Amino acid sequence: MEHRSPDKSPDCAAWLDDHGDYLFKYAVFRLRDQTAAEDVVQETFLAAIKAYANFQGRGSERTWLVGIMKHKIMDHFRRVTREAPVGEGADVEDGPEHAELFQASGQWTGHWDPNHAPTDWQSTPSELIERSDFWRVFSDCLSPLPQRTASVFTLREVDGLNSDEICAMLNISANNLWVMLHRARLHLRNCLELNWFKRPES
Amino acid sequence: MAPNAYDKLKHSVRYFLLRRLPPCQQIVEQISDSMEHRLSLRERINLKLHLWICAWCQWYLEHLHLIRDAARSKGPDLTSGPSLSSEARERIKRATDINQ
Repeated sequence: MEHRSPDKSPDCAAWLDDHGDYLFKYAVFRLRDQTAAEDVVQETFLAAIKAYANFQGRGSERTWLVGIMKHKIMDHFRRVTREAPVGEGADVEDGPEHAELFQASGQWTGHWDPNHAPTDWQSTPSELIERSDFWRVFSDCLSPLPQRTASVFTLREVDGLNSDEICAMLNISANNLWVMLHRARLHLRNCLELNWFKRPES
Repeated sequence: MAPNAYDKLKHSVRYFLLRRLPPCQQIVEQISDSMEHRLSLRERINLKLHLWICAWCQWYLEHLHLIRDAARSKGPDLTSGPSLSSEARERIKRATDINQ
């Protein structure tokens, strides 16, 4: 195939070769659904073809494509929400509640069970992120959560979307969102601690 | 005050507060909420007092911020994980060819 000059028409085949896997992984990490991620990659390329005139080689191609994909991911959540609205409490009820982390009876009911209480990690954020298994464990730990809870957590804590944006996107109340985030944090923190900081015998 | 009496007093204050304040299970929810919006004055006071006497919840708070700071400091490592299947590639190629 004749190589097309980049400033004339978009070369979608080259995009697919150079950035297809990257964009796919980017989407899987946030959507936690491979089929949906494939669709979002396709929509990103289609939108990129239309918007190509505005790009014309200004800046990195990958950064430009990721920028488009972020919008397509949000569109995906909006569409899914329209088709199957999150009922008040639907996702919230599903996730693990982790009541076992707290004492169920006695005078200290509701306080940490000493066997499950947080320990001193003695870590800084940079030490955490430098762990070679950080993102793998992070992602594995999120997988038992309801898909939407895990996605919401990722958009909030990794991408830094604010609460209002996420609520509007999923059409849920702030209260509902806060419960989802709380459940995700309780679960993830415990899971990271078990993986990284707890002695195997405990 | 003799160290012994001071320790006793500290112990009593701690015990009193732990009995009166919301338990850890509620506090961890408020810790998470405090990362999303400003808590009410009452919640803020309860949280501060609870954290003052509970090392476990202090660590909990610290860990949530650690996780947030680490996760936002560097994008996810996208070198591993699943790749686009050849069928998906073909499908995308076809769809984009038609639209080009």
